[in-house]
Amino acid sequence: MAETKEKSLSDEKPKPRVRPIVRLGIFLISHSFHVSVVCCTAGVLALFLLPVLAKNTYISENALMPGSASPMLSNQHVSDGNRLVKDLTNPNSKSSETGIESHKIIAQYMLDLGAEVSFHKFHPQMNQFHPLHFFSSPDSGKIQENYSCSSYGINTVGIIRAPHGDGKEAIVLVTPYNALKSGFGEALSLGIAYSVFSLLTQVTWLAKDIIWLVADSQYGEYAAVAAWLREYQTPKFSSLSTPNAEMCPDVNNLFELKGHSISGSKFSNSFRRAGTMASALVLKVRDQNEQFEDTISIYAEASNGQMPNLDLINVVNYLAVHRQGLRVNVEKLWSLLNSSWLKSLGEIFESLAKVAKSLYPKWKFGIPATEYVEGTATLASSLYYQALGVPTGPHGAFRDYQVDAITLEISPKFSLDKVWRNDILLRGGRLIEGVIRSVNNLLEKFHQSFFLYLLTSPSKFVSVGVYMIAFAFLIAPLPMVAASLYVDANSSSNCSKGDSSTPSAITDTDEHSIAIRSWRWLNSAKLVFIVHLWGAIVSLLPYFISQIPDCSPTTSFMIWVLLSILSLLTLNSVLASPLACAKATQEKEWALVKSVTISSVFIGLGLMSVINFATAEIGALLMVPMCLLAQPLKLDVRAGTLRSFCRMICNLVLGHIAFPPAALFLLKGMLDGFGNANVGDFWMWVESLWAWNSATYLFIGMVQLPCWVLCISILFHTC
Amino acid sequence: MEKVKKKIGSFSFWNWVTASIIFRLILIYFPKNLNLSSRPEVSTPLTSFRRLAEGYWLKQSFMSPYAGSMYHGSPLLLSLLGPLTINRIEGQPNHLLYSLVSVIADVVSAMLIRATGQNLRLAYLRSLESLDLVKQIEVSEFLFSGDIAALIYLCNPFTIVACVGLSTSPIENMAVILCLYGACSRLIPLAAFGWVIATHLSLYPAILIIPVIFLLGCGPDSPPRKLFLQRHQQKEVLNQSKLPPRFSWGPVIHFAFWAFLWSVYVLVLCGISLKQFGGLWEMFKSTYGFILTVEDLSPNIGVLWYFFAEVFEFFRNFFLIVFHVNILFMILPLAIRLRHRPCYLAFVYVAICSMLKSYPSVGDSALYLGLLGWFVNELADMQFSLFLFCGYVGVSLLSPVMHNLWIWRGTGNANFYFATAMVYACLQIVLVVEGVSAMLNHDRKLRNLITGKPQDAKS
Repeated sequence: MAETKEKSLSDEKPKPRVRPIVRLGIFLISHSFHVSVVCCTAGVLALFLLPVLAKNTYISENALMPGSASPMLSNQHVSDGNRLVKDLTNPNSKSSETGIESHKIIAQYMLDLGAEVSFHKFHPQMNQFHPLHFFSSPDSGKIQENYSCSSYGINTVGIIRAPHGDGKEAIVLVTPYNALKSGFGEALSLGIAYSVFSLLTQVTWLAKDIIWLVADSQYGEYAAVAAWLREYQTPKFSSLSTPNAEMCPDVNNLFELKGHSISGSKFSNSFRRAGTMASALVLKVRDQNEQFEDTISIYAEASNGQMPNLDLINVVNYLAVHRQGLRVNVEKLWSLLNSSWLKSLGEIFESLAKVAKSLYPKWKFGIPATEYVEGTATLASSLYYQALGVPTGPHGAFRDYQVDAITLEISPKFSLDKVWRNDILLRGGRLIEGVIRSVNNLLEKFHQSFFLYLLTSPSKFVSVGVYMIAFAFLIAPLPMVAASLYVDANSSSNCSKGDSSTPSAITDTDEHSIAIRSWRWLNSAKLVFIVHLWGAIVSLLPYFISQIPDCSPTTSFMIWVLLSILSLLTLNSVLASPLACAKATQEKEWALVKSVTISSVFIGLGLMSVINFATAEIGALLMVPMCLLAQPLKLDVRAGTLRSFCRMICNLVLGHIAFPPAALFLLKGMLDGFGNANVGDFWMWVESLWAWNSATYLFIGMVQLPCWVLCISILFHTC
Repeated sequence: MEKVKKKIGSFSFWNWVTASIIFRLILIYFPKNLNLSSRPEVSTPLTSFRRLAEGYWLKQSFMSPYAGSMYHGSPLLLSLLGPLTINRIEGQPNHLLYSLVSVIADVVSAMLIRATGQNLRLAYLRSLESLDLVKQIEVSEFLFSGDIAALIYLCNPFTIVACVGLSTSPIENMAVILCLYGACSRLIPLAAFGWVIATHLSLYPAILIIPVIFLLGCGPDSPPRKLFLQRHQQKEVLNQSKLPPRFSWGPVIHFAFWAFLWSVYVLVLCGISLKQFGGLWEMFKSTYGFILTVEDLSPNIGVLWYFFAEVFEFFRNFFLIVFHVNILFMILPLAIRLRHRPCYLAFVYVAICSMLKSYPSVGDSALYLGLLGWFVNELADMQFSLFLFCGYVGVSLLSPVMHNLWIWRGTGNANFYFATAMVYACLQIVLVVEGVSAMLNHDRKLRNLITGKPQDAKS
């Protein structure tokens, strides 16, 4: 902006000396079209180059020392685990309707190992709408009124106190378990956890307490873990809900039996705690599997695209691959794997790399085309899940309390014989043991490695310093174009007024134009502000619409659209009209509006890139071309050249694509075909976003939608 | 800022005032959800409401309010506002009464700003008249700067946040504005009272004594005296009545007397209320001493906390002196250059203080942005206005996000937050520099109009 002014000045009165930086600025602004084309292309290209630029992961924290000790988990522990699996899958244990029996069995097993055991009752909390949750600290859950005895879950918690520890730190092992309809996989995951647990009661090297949480997943895995964490981290001192829950006969029954059968043991009724959590592992075993070898999938995305420290993933990956011989998977967008254009792009990069290598042997940046395609698919899914802002598993609940956590899902080759089962128990158990042993070595919390990264494969990552370049290229044209538009709008109005006047009147008109020139953008700023205000209202509307009972997604969506349009019209008539008529005569007003719009988009994207990079990147891909190209259609029609015609077509296409529901529709269509998409989908998608407090929701409501409306209003500007 | 309109009739002025009051009242009813009172941008160790409540509680239990380094404000605030921290109305938000006091303080400040702005505008018109420039500069195009300034102050998100966030800055700002209002309308006891209270509450307004002396000595803002002389030389008639008055010492001595009286009064009151708890010395040590030695290094939107967290202990005193002298260094040159525009000088001083003070909050920015509204006519051709506006918006959104990234998510670190603080400081510097140069250009333009040069020098 500094340069913009200078330029406008230098147009009128060429100055003898202009500083180099100012000259550079003037150059950039006067060639803003070419610069923005180059920058945008570079941004998109850099995005596609990311899989090539990915680095191999390495263990950054020395204290971790993964795999340096030989695993201690023996067949004895495995047979212990097997015993638990058998007891749990035994049909007798499922007799009770609430599945309390199986919780009792688990608790009994834990007690036999000498662990401290407690039950944690919780009421599944309905997902509420907290639009400002991102900015506030995690608070203790609000007390809800209507608890009923029929809906509560029981988490079983076992704690091993470390013999050498001071009890200030803990490692959490979570196994989701639904007592009512547990599959064999869940029982097996409990078996693995139990075998590790039984080992850990005996070892002497333990420096951190071990918490084993058997999360009752009948109301969802996430809800159970989140409820337990909330209780753990933010205790309620005057809770009204606890006595309420105690009233329920079933729960009391549970405790009585327990207390009766094992008196004087380490069972306790109250909530038990260990130290602060160093990290958490969520262990799952999948029931069915089509793979030909034992694989382990890592899920790491927490809410709002937060990732656990990369070292945690590194440790798991290292131990699984190099010690236990498991294949490690991270999520991929499978539909991208077969796309031919991606393959050809990969081949182009590969051949380019070959050429580069032949020119100078030290340039080794190429990767094979297949690897490129796979890396891109992984990167795309990494971006997608981060952008969604919805955690991919129960580990997401931990990230809200700054605890690094991942979900490990073991998918074994499917067979039922006992040898195979023992093998899985042994290898899974040894993997968990190794990870726990590494984390146990930590002296501080995870801080050494990256928090901001994208995975392109389990052992490759793109760090924040690299992927920000792509984003920076993409949004770099925005301030430049805003500045050049601002300068144009100002200088053109000056010229038109100054030319026709006689010398004596020059001062007069100058005075007049000066008085409005510098602050003329206020009008446009007001329009932009109103539209953003409208965006805020639109984002709040679903909260009220969701209160309407018995509403199908389609109806809700229709109501939403209707109310949004209504509120836009109201706001426009209340706030904008007196000014609009007063200043409608301004020339090139659309340029100022565009300039301010672009500035606001720049602020919004910059802000979002800090909150959730993936959302900002995807948003920038949509919004930057739309903002930069927007120009009144009337002007283009009037010009009638090929260039303006092309721009008009681009504008119309972008105007359709960038509308958030349309963008989602296209995305869905590309991923699973256009056949089964309908209008209600968008509503459901939005509902899931705000239920998970995703910042993406706010981004769509308060940055993208207003930007789209402003661009459309520029397109249809009557100038 | 965004609601500034070019032409504001008095009807729509009152509409906006009501709307802003209603908006505040709505926000007051959701204090829990917003959690503004714990934001570092809003409540500094000096302005925090929770500390005030703590100080009051300590005093009620017969301990020194300054025990435990919790409270660092004035003992008078404790006596006046303290009871409001514990008074509750059934079924209402906890601190409703205190919030209402802040709202009233804001409205009173806005009204005082408006009255002062009208004064300034009249003075400006009068001086244009005596320079015979009324025709050249279309006076009908002149904006009602008082109304605009009042609206900027009331509708500024910073003011609203400071008011709803239960900080004491609305009251401190009111004292500053009271002082300027009194000086502009020549109510000398009022000006002295405002100055003494403002200084007592937050120390930095002490330097406003220079603009106040100029205001009392030669009246409100006008073009340089030189211009009048030139004008009259051209006409070759020296009409003394049309000249701005020379500096008169009478009101200044009057002011000094009143200021002395008020400060003795305030000190006696403080002494009485702190009689059992170590007396005035204790107060000086834990209010002014606390401000000057930057003891509390918790993050805020200023730049000092980061610097003093890093600096070696044995350099600390040296850098403390350097940072505070920084403000004093700027006083004299600015006073010489802008002596004909004392109100503008006051704005510049307030802006510089809020940039360099040890515990800045958004309430301070709210004050100088409001004062900036007085000069819309003079600053019409200020440069970088859009850039500054976008910068303020961007920083005020980015700063909470960075804080969250550092404190709650743990993925960022202190540098993230400090980066926004530096950008904020730079923006303020650009604002002050551009503002002052625009004002000087305006004076230059007036001179050119008088001497009849065809083109203006720099604008």
